[in-house]
Amino acid sequence: MQKDTMTASERYRAYLSGLPVDRAPVIEQAPWWDLTIHRWATEGLPAELDKMDTVEDYFRRVEDIQGYFGLDRTLGPWFEPVTAETPVAPSHGAGIMEDEDDYARIKPTLYPPVETKISADYGAWMNACHRRGDTILSLGMPGPFWFPRNMFGIENHLYSFFDYPELYKEMVDDYAAWLEKLLPYILDRFHVDVVGFSEDMSYNGGAMISKELFDEFLAPFYRRLVPLVHSYGIPVSIDSDGNITEAVDWYASVGADMMSPLERQAGVDVSVYLEKQPSMGFVGHFNKLCMKEGEEAMRAEFERLLPSMQKGKFIPSVDHQTPPEVSFENYKIYLKLLNEYARKIDTERQGILPCPVFAKK
Amino acid sequence: MRVLTEISELLQKGKAKDVKALVQQALDEGIPAQDILEQGLLAGMSVIGKKFKNNEIYVPEVLVAARAMKMGSQVLAPMIAEAGVEPLGCVIIGTVQGDLHDIGKNLVKMMFEGKGFSVVDLGVDVAPETFVEAAIEHDAQIICLSALLTTTMGVMGDVVKAVEAAGLRDKVKIMIGGAPVTEAFCAQIGADKYTVDAASAADAAKDMMMN
Repeated sequence: MQKDTMTASERYRAYLSGLPVDRAPVIEQAPWWDLTIHRWATEGLPAELDKMDTVEDYFRRVEDIQGYFGLDRTLGPWFEPVTAETPVAPSHGAGIMEDEDDYARIKPTLYPPVETKISADYGAWMNACHRRGDTILSLGMPGPFWFPRNMFGIENHLYSFFDYPELYKEMVDDYAAWLEKLLPYILDRFHVDVVGFSEDMSYNGGAMISKELFDEFLAPFYRRLVPLVHSYGIPVSIDSDGNITEAVDWYASVGADMMSPLERQAGVDVSVYLEKQPSMGFVGHFNKLCMKEGEEAMRAEFERLLPSMQKGKFIPSVDHQTPPEVSFENYKIYLKLLNEYARKIDTERQGILPCPVFAKK
Repeated sequence: MRVLTEISELLQKGKAKDVKALVQQALDEGIPAQDILEQGLLAGMSVIGKKFKNNEIYVPEVLVAARAMKMGSQVLAPMIAEAGVEPLGCVIIGTVQGDLHDIGKNLVKMMFEGKGFSVVDLGVDVAPETFVEAAIEHDAQIICLSALLTTTMGVMGDVVKAVEAAGLRDKVKIMIGGAPVTEAFCAQIGADKYTVDAASAADAAKDMMMN
Protein backbone atom coordinates (compact mmCIF):
# COMPACT_ATOMS: atom_id res chain seq x y z
CA MET A 1 0.00 0.00 0.00
CA GLN A 2 1.30 3.47 -0.92
CA LYS A 3 2.46 5.63 1.96
CA ASP A 4 0.31 8.60 2.85
CA THR A 5 1.88 11.94 2.09
CA MET A 6 -0.85 14.27 3.39
CA THR A 7 -2.40 14.83 6.80
CA ALA A 8 -6.09 14.01 7.20
CA SER A 9 -6.98 17.69 7.26
CA GLU A 10 -4.88 18.54 4.18
CA ARG A 11 -6.32 15.61 2.27
CA TYR A 12 -9.90 16.48 3.19
CA ARG A 13 -9.61 20.09 2.09
CA ALA A 14 -7.74 19.19 -1.10
CA TYR A 15 -10.29 16.52 -1.95
CA LEU A 16 -13.17 18.98 -1.60
CA SER A 17 -11.20 21.58 -3.56
CA GLY A 18 -10.79 19.26 -6.54
CA LEU A 19 -7.00 19.34 -6.06
CA PRO A 20 -4.55 16.42 -6.21
CA VAL A 21 -4.53 14.11 -3.18
CA ASP A 22 -2.53 11.07 -2.12
CA ARG A 23 -5.79 9.10 -1.76
CA ALA A 24 -9.44 9.65 -0.92
CA PRO A 25 -10.26 10.37 2.75
CA VAL A 26 -10.95 7.21 4.75
CA ILE A 27 -13.42 8.19 7.46
CA GLU A 28 -16.43 7.12 9.46
CA GLN A 29 -18.92 9.97 9.12
CA ALA A 30 -20.63 9.04 12.41
CA PRO A 31 -19.34 7.65 15.72
CA TRP A 32 -19.83 3.98 16.49
CA TRP A 33 -22.96 2.34 17.83
CA ASP A 34 -22.33 1.26 21.41
CA LEU A 35 -23.98 -2.15 20.83
CA THR A 36 -21.65 -2.75 17.89
CA ILE A 37 -18.61 -1.88 19.98
CA HIS A 38 -19.84 -4.18 22.78
CA ARG A 39 -20.08 -7.03 20.28
CA TRP A 40 -16.66 -6.38 18.78
CA ALA A 41 -15.12 -6.32 22.24
CA THR A 42 -16.12 -9.99 22.50
CA GLU A 43 -14.55 -10.72 19.12
CA GLY A 44 -11.14 -9.11 19.42
CA LEU A 45 -11.50 -5.34 19.81
CA PRO A 46 -9.33 -4.31 22.80
CA ALA A 47 -11.52 -4.14 25.90
CA GLU A 48 -10.32 -0.64 26.83
CA LEU A 49 -12.03 0.70 23.68
CA ASP A 50 -15.39 -0.51 25.02
CA LYS A 51 -15.59 1.89 27.94
CA MET A 52 -18.08 4.64 27.24
CA ASP A 53 -19.55 5.50 30.60
CA THR A 54 -19.97 9.23 30.01
CA VAL A 55 -20.62 11.36 26.94
CA GLU A 56 -17.13 12.82 27.21
CA ASP A 57 -15.70 9.31 27.54
CA TYR A 58 -17.63 8.32 24.49
CA PHE A 59 -16.26 11.01 22.20
CA ARG A 60 -12.70 10.54 23.36
CA ARG A 61 -13.10 6.80 22.93
CA VAL A 62 -14.34 7.34 19.39
CA GLU A 63 -11.06 9.06 18.64
CA ASP A 64 -9.19 6.08 20.12
CA ILE A 65 -11.24 3.66 18.02
CA GLN A 66 -10.56 5.68 14.88
CA GLY A 67 -6.86 5.46 15.68
CA TYR A 68 -7.07 1.73 16.33
CA PHE A 69 -8.64 1.11 12.93
CA GLY A 70 -6.22 3.46 11.15
CA LEU A 71 -8.93 5.80 9.88
CA ASP A 72 -8.49 9.47 9.10
CA ARG A 73 -9.69 10.81 12.42
CA THR A 74 -12.70 13.07 12.57
CA LEU A 75 -13.57 15.06 15.63
CA GLY A 76 -17.13 16.35 15.74
CA PRO A 77 -17.88 18.63 18.68
CA TRP A 78 -21.59 19.46 18.86
CA PHE A 79 -22.97 22.84 19.87
CA GLU A 80 -26.54 23.61 20.86
CA PRO A 81 -27.91 26.90 22.20
CA VAL A 82 -29.01 25.30 25.45
CA THR A 83 -27.87 25.38 29.07
CA ALA A 84 -28.31 23.15 32.11
CA GLU A 85 -31.43 25.19 32.91
CA THR A 86 -33.14 24.54 29.57
CA PRO A 87 -36.07 22.10 30.00
CA VAL A 88 -35.53 18.59 28.72
CA ALA A 89 -38.11 16.86 26.53
CA PRO A 90 -40.04 14.30 28.62
CA SER A 91 -39.71 11.62 25.95
CA HIS A 92 -38.22 10.94 22.55
CA GLY A 93 -39.83 13.20 19.98
CA ALA A 94 -41.66 15.33 22.50
CA GLY A 95 -41.14 19.06 22.66
CA ILE A 96 -40.40 21.53 25.43
CA MET A 97 -42.72 24.30 24.24
CA GLU A 98 -45.99 24.92 22.42
CA ASP A 99 -46.43 28.62 21.82
CA GLU A 100 -45.13 32.18 22.21
CA ASP A 101 -45.60 32.21 25.98
CA ASP A 102 -43.59 29.03 26.41
CA TYR A 103 -40.78 30.40 24.25
CA ALA A 104 -40.70 33.63 26.25
CA ARG A 105 -40.41 31.56 29.42
CA ILE A 106 -37.68 29.26 28.07
CA LYS A 107 -35.69 31.85 26.16
CA PRO A 108 -33.69 33.08 29.18
CA THR A 109 -32.26 29.55 29.47
CA LEU A 110 -31.16 29.55 25.84
CA TYR A 111 -28.36 31.26 23.91
CA PRO A 112 -25.70 31.26 26.65
CA PRO A 113 -22.50 33.32 26.46
CA VAL A 114 -20.55 31.61 23.70
CA GLU A 115 -17.35 31.30 25.72
CA THR A 116 -19.18 28.88 28.03
CA LYS A 117 -19.63 26.39 25.20
CA ILE A 118 -16.00 25.25 25.11
CA SER A 119 -14.19 24.43 28.32
CA ALA A 120 -10.45 25.08 28.48
CA ASP A 121 -9.91 21.34 28.68
CA TYR A 122 -12.02 20.64 25.64
CA GLY A 123 -10.35 23.44 23.70
CA ALA A 124 -6.92 22.07 24.54
CA TRP A 125 -8.01 18.66 23.32
CA MET A 126 -9.33 20.10 20.04
CA ASN A 127 -6.04 21.89 19.50
CA ALA A 128 -4.02 18.81 20.34
CA CYS A 129 -6.01 16.73 17.89
CA HIS A 130 -5.38 19.22 15.15
CA ARG A 131 -1.71 19.76 15.97
CA ARG A 132 -1.13 16.07 15.30
CA GLY A 133 -2.47 16.84 11.82
CA ASP A 134 -4.39 13.59 11.70
CA THR A 135 -7.81 14.91 12.65
CA ILE A 136 -10.54 16.48 10.55
CA LEU A 137 -12.32 18.91 12.86
CA SER A 138 -16.01 19.10 12.03
CA LEU A 139 -18.20 21.43 14.08
CA GLY A 140 -21.77 20.23 14.35
CA MET A 141 -24.88 22.18 15.29
CA PRO A 142 -28.62 22.11 14.69
CA GLY A 143 -29.97 23.66 11.52
CA PRO A 144 -33.12 25.79 11.25
CA PHE A 145 -35.29 22.68 10.79
CA TRP A 146 -33.69 20.65 13.60
CA PHE A 147 -33.56 23.35 16.29
CA PRO A 148 -37.29 24.26 16.20
CA ARG A 149 -38.13 20.55 15.99
CA ASN A 150 -36.34 19.96 19.28
CA MET A 151 -38.24 22.87 20.76
CA PHE A 152 -41.74 22.02 19.47
CA GLY A 153 -41.39 18.24 19.31
CA ILE A 154 -41.51 16.24 16.10
CA GLU A 155 -45.19 16.48 15.25
CA ASN A 156 -46.01 19.94 16.58
CA HIS A 157 -42.97 21.24 14.73
CA LEU A 158 -44.63 20.27 11.46
CA TYR A 159 -47.83 22.06 12.50
CA SER A 160 -45.84 25.12 13.59
CA PHE A 161 -45.18 26.24 10.01
CA PHE A 162 -48.92 26.95 9.82
CA ASP A 163 -49.83 27.56 13.47
CA TYR A 164 -46.92 29.72 14.61
CA PRO A 165 -45.10 31.06 11.54
CA GLU A 166 -43.94 34.27 13.18
CA LEU A 167 -42.75 32.44 16.29
CA TYR A 168 -40.83 29.98 14.12
CA LYS A 169 -39.08 32.85 12.36
CA GLU A 170 -38.34 34.60 15.64
CA MET A 171 -36.74 31.45 17.08
CA VAL A 172 -34.60 30.86 14.01
CA ASP A 173 -33.64 34.54 14.00
CA ASP A 174 -32.58 34.38 17.67
CA TYR A 175 -30.63 31.21 17.04
CA ALA A 176 -28.87 32.68 13.99
CA ALA A 177 -27.89 35.74 16.04
CA TRP A 178 -26.35 33.44 18.66
CA LEU A 179 -24.42 31.53 16.00
CA GLU A 180 -23.14 34.82 14.63
CA LYS A 181 -21.34 35.15 17.95
CA LEU A 182 -20.43 31.49 18.49
CA LEU A 183 -18.95 30.78 15.08
CA PRO A 184 -16.42 33.64 15.04
CA TYR A 185 -15.51 32.81 18.64
CA ILE A 186 -14.61 29.25 17.61
CA LEU A 187 -13.31 29.86 14.11
CA ASP A 188 -10.97 32.62 15.31
CA ARG A 189 -9.44 30.27 17.90
CA PHE A 190 -9.41 26.79 16.42
CA HIS A 191 -8.55 25.21 13.11
CA VAL A 192 -11.83 23.87 11.72
CA ASP A 193 -12.22 21.82 8.54
CA VAL A 194 -15.98 21.90 8.09
CA VAL A 195 -19.07 23.38 9.76
CA GLY A 196 -22.05 21.05 9.69
CA PHE A 197 -25.71 21.85 10.23
CA SER A 198 -27.88 18.88 11.12
CA GLU A 199 -31.38 18.94 9.71
CA ASP A 200 -32.89 15.49 9.10
CA MET A 201 -35.44 17.26 6.95
CA SER A 202 -36.20 14.28 4.71
CA TYR A 203 -37.60 10.79 5.09
CA ASN A 204 -37.76 7.89 2.69
CA GLY A 205 -40.59 9.60 0.76
CA GLY A 206 -38.54 12.75 0.16
CA ALA A 207 -38.43 16.15 1.82
CA MET A 208 -40.80 16.62 4.76
CA ILE A 209 -41.57 20.19 3.77
CA SER A 210 -42.12 21.95 0.48
CA LYS A 211 -39.69 24.21 -1.33
CA GLU A 212 -41.99 27.11 -0.45
CA LEU A 213 -41.68 26.40 3.28
CA PHE A 214 -37.93 25.85 2.89
CA ASP A 215 -37.55 29.21 1.17
CA GLU A 216 -39.66 31.02 3.73
CA PHE A 217 -38.47 29.45 6.99
CA LEU A 218 -35.04 27.89 6.43
CA ALA A 219 -33.29 29.64 3.56
CA PRO A 220 -32.92 33.03 5.34
CA PHE A 221 -30.90 31.30 8.09
CA TYR A 222 -28.48 29.84 5.58
CA ARG A 223 -28.24 33.03 3.53
CA ARG A 224 -27.14 34.70 6.76
CA LEU A 225 -24.70 32.09 8.09
CA VAL A 226 -23.18 30.35 5.06
CA PRO A 227 -21.33 33.54 3.96
CA LEU A 228 -20.01 33.90 7.52
CA VAL A 229 -18.56 30.37 7.50
CA HIS A 230 -17.30 30.78 3.95
CA SER A 231 -15.50 33.97 4.96
CA TYR A 232 -13.18 31.70 6.96
CA GLY A 233 -12.59 29.51 3.92
CA ILE A 234 -14.51 26.67 5.54
CA PRO A 235 -17.11 24.53 3.76
CA VAL A 236 -20.67 24.10 5.05
CA SER A 237 -22.08 20.60 5.24
CA ILE A 238 -25.73 19.61 5.72
CA ASP A 239 -26.71 16.39 7.42
CA SER A 240 -30.13 15.15 6.40
CA ASP A 241 -31.36 11.60 6.61
CA GLY A 242 -33.80 10.12 4.18
CA ASN A 243 -34.31 10.78 0.51
CA ILE A 244 -32.67 14.15 -0.17
CA THR A 245 -33.08 14.13 -3.93
CA GLU A 246 -35.13 17.34 -3.87
CA ALA A 247 -33.39 18.85 -0.86
CA VAL A 248 -29.94 18.64 -2.47
CA ASP A 249 -30.97 21.35 -4.89
CA TRP A 250 -32.55 23.47 -2.17
CA TYR A 251 -29.44 23.37 0.00
CA ALA A 252 -27.26 24.03 -3.02
CA SER A 253 -29.35 27.14 -3.66
CA VAL A 254 -28.35 28.58 -0.27
CA GLY A 255 -24.64 27.88 -0.75
CA ALA A 256 -24.11 24.55 1.03
CA ASP A 257 -20.94 22.77 -0.03
CA MET A 258 -21.64 19.21 1.05
CA MET A 259 -24.34 16.79 2.18
CA SER A 260 -24.41 13.55 4.14
CA PRO A 261 -25.19 10.71 4.96
CA LEU A 262 -27.04 9.70 1.73
CA GLU A 263 -28.93 6.74 3.13
CA ARG A 264 -29.05 3.97 0.58
CA GLN A 265 -32.10 2.49 2.28
CA ALA A 266 -34.00 5.68 1.49
CA GLY A 267 -33.40 5.04 -2.19
CA VAL A 268 -30.87 7.81 -2.82
CA ASP A 269 -28.22 7.59 -5.53
CA VAL A 270 -25.10 9.73 -5.23
CA SER A 271 -24.38 9.48 -8.95
CA VAL A 272 -27.59 11.42 -9.62
CA TYR A 273 -26.56 14.14 -7.16
CA LEU A 274 -23.08 14.47 -8.67
CA GLU A 275 -24.72 14.87 -12.04
CA LYS A 276 -27.05 17.67 -10.98
CA GLN A 277 -24.86 19.38 -8.35
CA PRO A 278 -21.29 18.81 -9.53
CA SER A 279 -19.90 21.48 -7.18
CA MET A 280 -21.16 19.76 -4.06
CA GLY A 281 -19.36 17.12 -2.04
CA PHE A 282 -21.11 14.08 -0.59
CA VAL A 283 -20.26 11.81 2.33
CA GLY A 284 -21.74 8.45 3.31
CA HIS A 285 -23.98 6.30 1.07
CA PHE A 286 -22.28 2.94 1.71
CA ASN A 287 -25.11 0.44 2.10
CA LYS A 288 -24.46 -0.88 5.59
CA LEU A 289 -26.97 -3.70 5.18
CA CYS A 290 -24.51 -5.58 2.96
CA MET A 291 -21.74 -5.55 5.57
CA LYS A 292 -22.90 -8.66 7.37
CA GLU A 293 -22.83 -10.63 4.13
CA GLY A 294 -19.06 -10.61 3.76
CA GLU A 295 -16.38 -9.49 1.31
CA GLU A 296 -18.09 -10.28 -1.97
CA ALA A 297 -21.16 -8.21 -1.12
CA MET A 298 -19.08 -5.32 0.23
CA ARG A 299 -16.79 -5.34 -2.81
CA ALA A 300 -19.84 -5.18 -5.07
CA GLU A 301 -21.04 -2.15 -3.12
CA PHE A 302 -17.65 -0.42 -3.47
CA GLU A 303 -17.69 -1.18 -7.20
CA ARG A 304 -21.06 0.60 -7.37
CA LEU A 305 -19.55 3.61 -5.63
CA LEU A 306 -16.17 3.81 -7.37
CA PRO A 307 -17.40 5.66 -10.50
CA SER A 308 -18.86 8.36 -8.25
CA MET A 309 -15.60 8.59 -6.30
CA GLN A 310 -13.81 9.08 -9.62
CA LYS A 311 -16.29 11.61 -10.87
CA GLY A 312 -16.65 14.02 -7.97
CA LYS A 313 -16.06 14.91 -4.36
CA PHE A 314 -17.68 11.82 -2.93
CA ILE A 315 -16.30 10.26 0.27
CA PRO A 316 -17.78 6.81 0.87
CA SER A 317 -18.62 6.01 4.47
CA VAL A 318 -21.19 3.90 6.29
CA ASP A 319 -24.42 5.89 6.32
CA HIS A 320 -24.83 6.45 10.03
CA GLN A 321 -23.32 3.64 12.03
CA THR A 322 -22.30 0.05 11.49
CA PRO A 323 -25.10 -2.10 12.90
CA PRO A 324 -24.45 -4.65 15.65
CA GLU A 325 -25.12 -7.62 13.37
CA VAL A 326 -21.82 -6.89 11.57
CA SER A 327 -19.01 -9.00 13.01
CA PHE A 328 -15.62 -7.58 13.92
CA GLU A 329 -14.13 -9.69 11.13
CA ASN A 330 -16.52 -8.29 8.52
CA TYR A 331 -15.85 -4.75 9.71
CA LYS A 332 -12.12 -5.30 9.24
CA ILE A 333 -12.84 -6.52 5.71
CA TYR A 334 -14.91 -3.37 5.14
CA LEU A 335 -11.97 -1.21 6.24
CA LYS A 336 -9.55 -3.14 4.04
CA LEU A 337 -11.80 -2.48 1.06
CA LEU A 338 -12.37 1.17 2.04
CA ASN A 339 -8.61 1.71 2.03
CA GLU A 340 -8.23 -0.22 -1.22
CA TYR A 341 -10.85 1.82 -3.07
CA ALA A 342 -9.61 5.11 -1.57
CA ARG A 343 -6.44 4.49 -3.56
CA LYS A 344 -8.21 3.57 -6.79
CA ILE A 345 -9.22 7.14 -7.59
CA ASP A 346 -7.38 9.38 -10.00
CA THR A 347 -5.25 11.21 -7.44
CA GLU A 348 -4.66 14.10 -9.84
CA ARG A 349 -8.41 14.81 -9.59
CA GLN A 350 -8.55 16.19 -13.11
CA GLY A 351 -11.84 17.80 -14.06
CA ILE A 352 -13.21 17.83 -10.50
CA LEU A 353 -14.93 21.09 -9.60
CA PRO A 354 -14.20 22.64 -6.20
CA CYS A 355 -16.89 23.00 -3.54
CA PRO A 356 -18.45 26.50 -3.63
CA VAL A 357 -16.33 27.81 -0.74
CA PHE A 358 -13.10 26.88 -2.48
CA ALA A 359 -14.30 28.15 -5.83
CA LYS A 360 -14.52 31.64 -4.34
CA LYS A 361 -10.79 31.80 -3.64
CA MET B 1 -73.84 21.14 -3.27
CA ARG B 2 -71.68 24.22 -2.91
CA VAL B 3 -71.19 23.90 0.84
CA LEU B 4 -69.78 20.38 0.49
CA THR B 5 -67.30 21.57 -2.12
CA GLU B 6 -66.30 24.39 0.21
CA ILE B 7 -65.78 21.95 3.07
CA SER B 8 -63.53 19.85 0.85
CA GLU B 9 -61.54 22.87 -0.33
CA LEU B 10 -61.11 24.35 3.14
CA LEU B 11 -60.07 20.96 4.50
CA GLN B 12 -57.38 20.78 1.83
CA LYS B 13 -56.11 24.15 3.03
CA GLY B 14 -56.06 22.94 6.63
CA LYS B 15 -58.61 25.50 7.82
CA ALA B 16 -59.90 23.48 10.74
CA LYS B 17 -62.11 26.10 12.38
CA ASP B 18 -63.72 27.01 9.04
CA VAL B 19 -64.34 23.35 8.25
CA LYS B 20 -65.96 22.84 11.62
CA ALA B 21 -68.24 25.85 11.11
CA LEU B 22 -69.21 24.81 7.58
CA VAL B 23 -69.99 21.25 8.66
CA GLN B 24 -72.36 22.69 11.26
CA GLN B 25 -73.83 24.98 8.62
CA ALA B 26 -74.38 22.05 6.28
CA LEU B 27 -76.14 20.13 9.03
CA ASP B 28 -78.31 23.15 9.77
CA GLU B 29 -79.25 23.27 6.09
CA GLY B 30 -80.52 19.72 6.41
CA ILE B 31 -77.78 17.95 4.48
CA PRO B 32 -77.45 14.35 5.72
CA ALA B 33 -74.38 13.69 7.87
CA GLN B 34 -73.24 10.86 5.65
CA ASP B 35 -73.23 13.14 2.59
CA ILE B 36 -71.22 15.74 4.48
CA LEU B 37 -68.76 13.05 5.53
CA GLU B 38 -68.37 11.45 2.13
CA GLN B 39 -68.74 14.41 -0.26
CA GLY B 40 -67.10 17.00 1.98
CA LEU B 41 -64.56 15.60 4.43
CA LEU B 42 -63.55 12.31 2.81
CA ALA B 43 -63.57 13.89 -0.65
CA GLY B 44 -61.13 16.53 0.61
CA MET B 45 -58.86 13.96 2.24
CA SER B 46 -58.93 11.89 -0.92
CA VAL B 47 -57.50 14.86 -2.84
CA ILE B 48 -54.88 15.34 -0.10
CA GLY B 49 -53.92 11.67 -0.34
CA LYS B 50 -53.47 11.84 -4.09
CA LYS B 51 -51.44 15.04 -3.94
CA PHE B 52 -49.24 13.62 -1.18
CA LYS B 53 -48.65 10.48 -3.19
CA ASN B 54 -47.63 12.60 -6.19
CA ASN B 55 -45.31 14.81 -4.09
CA GLU B 56 -47.47 17.84 -4.81
CA ILE B 57 -47.89 18.51 -1.09
CA TYR B 58 -45.75 17.61 1.92
CA VAL B 59 -46.13 16.34 5.48
CA PRO B 60 -47.23 19.60 7.20
CA GLU B 61 -50.00 20.13 4.63
CA VAL B 62 -51.25 16.59 5.25
CA LEU B 63 -51.20 17.09 9.00
CA VAL B 64 -53.21 20.30 8.98
CA ALA B 65 -55.71 18.83 6.50
CA ALA B 66 -56.14 15.75 8.69
CA ARG B 67 -56.64 17.97 11.71
CA ALA B 68 -59.38 19.85 9.83
CA MET B 69 -61.03 16.55 8.96
CA LYS B 70 -60.89 15.47 12.58
CA MET B 71 -62.60 18.68 13.75
CA GLY B 72 -65.28 18.32 11.11
CA SER B 73 -65.78 14.66 11.96
CA GLN B 74 -66.27 15.48 15.63
CA VAL B 75 -69.28 17.63 14.71
CA LEU B 76 -70.71 14.79 12.65
CA ALA B 77 -69.91 11.95 15.05
CA PRO B 78 -73.26 11.84 16.95
CA MET B 79 -75.29 11.91 13.73
CA ILE B 80 -73.09 9.32 12.05
CA ALA B 81 -73.45 7.02 15.05
CA GLU B 82 -77.21 7.59 15.14
CA ALA B 83 -77.53 6.80 11.45
CA GLY B 84 -75.61 3.58 11.98
CA VAL B 85 -73.02 4.37 9.30
CA GLU B 86 -70.41 1.64 9.42
CA PRO B 87 -66.72 2.39 8.87
CA LEU B 88 -64.99 0.78 5.91
CA GLY B 89 -63.20 -1.49 8.34
CA CYS B 90 -61.18 -1.52 11.53
CA VAL B 91 -57.42 -1.10 11.47
CA ILE B 92 -55.03 -1.70 14.38
CA ILE B 93 -51.92 0.43 13.92
CA GLY B 94 -48.71 0.86 15.86
CA THR B 95 -44.94 1.23 15.75
CA VAL B 96 -43.33 -2.08 16.67
CA GLN B 97 -41.58 -2.91 19.90
CA GLY B 98 -38.24 -1.18 20.44
CA ASP B 99 -39.05 1.64 18.05
CA LEU B 100 -40.22 5.04 19.29
CA HIS B 101 -40.80 6.78 15.94
CA ASP B 102 -44.36 7.67 15.16
CA ILE B 103 -44.64 10.40 12.54
CA GLY B 104 -44.88 7.89 9.68
CA LYS B 105 -47.36 5.80 11.62
CA ASN B 106 -49.46 8.88 12.35
CA LEU B 107 -49.54 9.84 8.69
CA VAL B 108 -50.76 6.37 7.75
CA LYS B 109 -53.41 6.60 10.46
CA MET B 110 -54.65 9.90 9.06
CA MET B 111 -54.80 8.51 5.54
CA PHE B 112 -56.76 5.49 6.76
CA GLU B 113 -59.22 7.74 8.55
CA GLY B 114 -59.46 9.80 5.40
CA LYS B 115 -60.63 6.68 3.57
CA GLY B 116 -63.34 6.00 6.13
CA PHE B 117 -61.63 3.36 8.29
CA SER B 118 -61.88 3.33 12.05
CA VAL B 119 -58.34 3.19 13.41
CA VAL B 120 -57.14 1.96 16.80
CA ASP B 121 -53.74 3.54 17.41
CA LEU B 122 -51.61 1.55 19.84
CA GLY B 123 -48.82 4.13 19.79
CA VAL B 124 -45.11 3.28 19.73
CA ASP B 125 -42.99 0.46 21.15
CA VAL B 126 -45.88 -2.01 20.82
CA ALA B 127 -45.30 -5.68 21.68
CA PRO B 128 -46.46 -8.36 19.20
CA GLU B 129 -49.02 -9.79 21.64
CA THR B 130 -50.56 -6.32 22.10
CA PHE B 131 -51.33 -6.14 18.37
CA VAL B 132 -53.01 -9.56 18.61
CA GLU B 133 -55.04 -8.63 21.70
CA ALA B 134 -56.23 -5.39 20.06
CA ALA B 135 -57.17 -7.16 16.83
CA ILE B 136 -59.31 -9.61 18.81
CA GLU B 137 -60.87 -6.93 21.01
CA HIS B 138 -61.85 -4.69 18.09
CA ASP B 139 -62.58 -7.46 15.59
CA ALA B 140 -60.10 -5.77 13.22
CA GLN B 141 -59.59 -6.67 9.60
CA ILE B 142 -56.13 -5.12 9.25
CA ILE B 143 -53.02 -4.80 11.44
CA CYS B 144 -50.69 -2.09 10.24
CA LEU B 145 -47.06 -2.08 11.44
CA SER B 146 -44.50 0.69 11.29
CA ALA B 147 -40.73 0.64 11.91
CA LEU B 148 -38.06 3.23 11.23
CA LEU B 149 -35.05 1.27 12.36
CA THR B 150 -33.27 -1.66 10.76
CA THR B 151 -32.88 -3.03 14.26
CA THR B 152 -36.63 -3.08 14.94
CA MET B 153 -38.05 -4.11 11.57
CA GLY B 154 -37.48 -7.73 12.56
CA VAL B 155 -40.22 -7.38 15.18
CA MET B 156 -42.68 -7.17 12.30
CA GLY B 157 -41.96 -10.85 11.63
CA ASP B 158 -42.68 -11.58 15.29
CA VAL B 159 -46.09 -9.93 14.93
CA VAL B 160 -46.87 -12.10 11.89
CA LYS B 161 -45.96 -15.18 13.93
CA ALA B 162 -48.04 -14.01 16.90
CA VAL B 163 -51.07 -13.49 14.64
CA GLU B 164 -50.58 -16.98 13.21
CA ALA B 165 -50.21 -18.47 16.68
CA ALA B 166 -53.47 -16.80 17.76
CA GLY B 167 -55.29 -18.41 14.83
CA LEU B 168 -56.13 -15.04 13.27
CA ARG B 169 -54.05 -15.25 10.11
CA ASP B 170 -57.03 -15.95 7.82
CA LYS B 171 -59.08 -13.13 9.33
CA VAL B 172 -56.53 -10.33 9.55
CA LYS B 173 -54.39 -8.77 6.83
CA ILE B 174 -50.99 -7.48 7.93
CA MET B 175 -49.56 -4.38 6.29
CA ILE B 176 -46.06 -3.04 6.90
CA GLY B 177 -44.16 0.14 6.14
CA GLY B 178 -41.32 2.40 7.23
CA ALA B 179 -37.97 3.65 6.03
CA PRO B 180 -36.00 0.36 6.04
CA VAL B 181 -38.91 -1.86 4.96
CA THR B 182 -39.09 -3.27 1.44
CA GLU B 183 -41.34 -5.44 -0.70
CA ALA B 184 -38.81 -8.27 -0.38
CA PHE B 185 -38.86 -7.99 3.41
CA CYS B 186 -42.65 -8.12 3.34
CA ALA B 187 -42.53 -11.38 1.42
CA GLN B 188 -39.76 -12.72 3.65
CA ILE B 189 -41.76 -12.35 6.87
CA GLY B 190 -45.06 -13.39 5.34
CA ALA B 191 -46.90 -10.09 5.70
CA ASP B 192 -49.65 -9.27 3.21
CA LYS B 193 -48.80 -5.83 1.92
CA TYR B 194 -45.98 -3.29 1.83
CA THR B 195 -46.50 0.20 0.47
CA VAL B 196 -43.98 2.95 -0.06
CA ASP B 197 -46.03 5.77 1.43
CA ALA B 198 -48.99 6.57 3.66
CA ALA B 199 -51.47 7.40 0.91
CA SER B 200 -50.68 4.18 -0.95
CA ALA B 201 -51.22 2.25 2.28
CA ALA B 202 -54.74 3.61 2.62
CA ASP B 203 -55.48 2.91 -1.05
CA ALA B 204 -54.19 -0.65 -0.71
CA ALA B 205 -56.21 -1.22 2.47
CA LYS B 206 -59.37 -0.03 0.76
CA ASP B 207 -58.68 -2.35 -2.17
CA MET B 208 -58.20 -5.26 0.23
CA MET B 209 -61.50 -4.50 1.94
CA MET B 210 -63.36 -4.21 -1.37
CA ASN B 211 -61.98 -7.45 -2.78
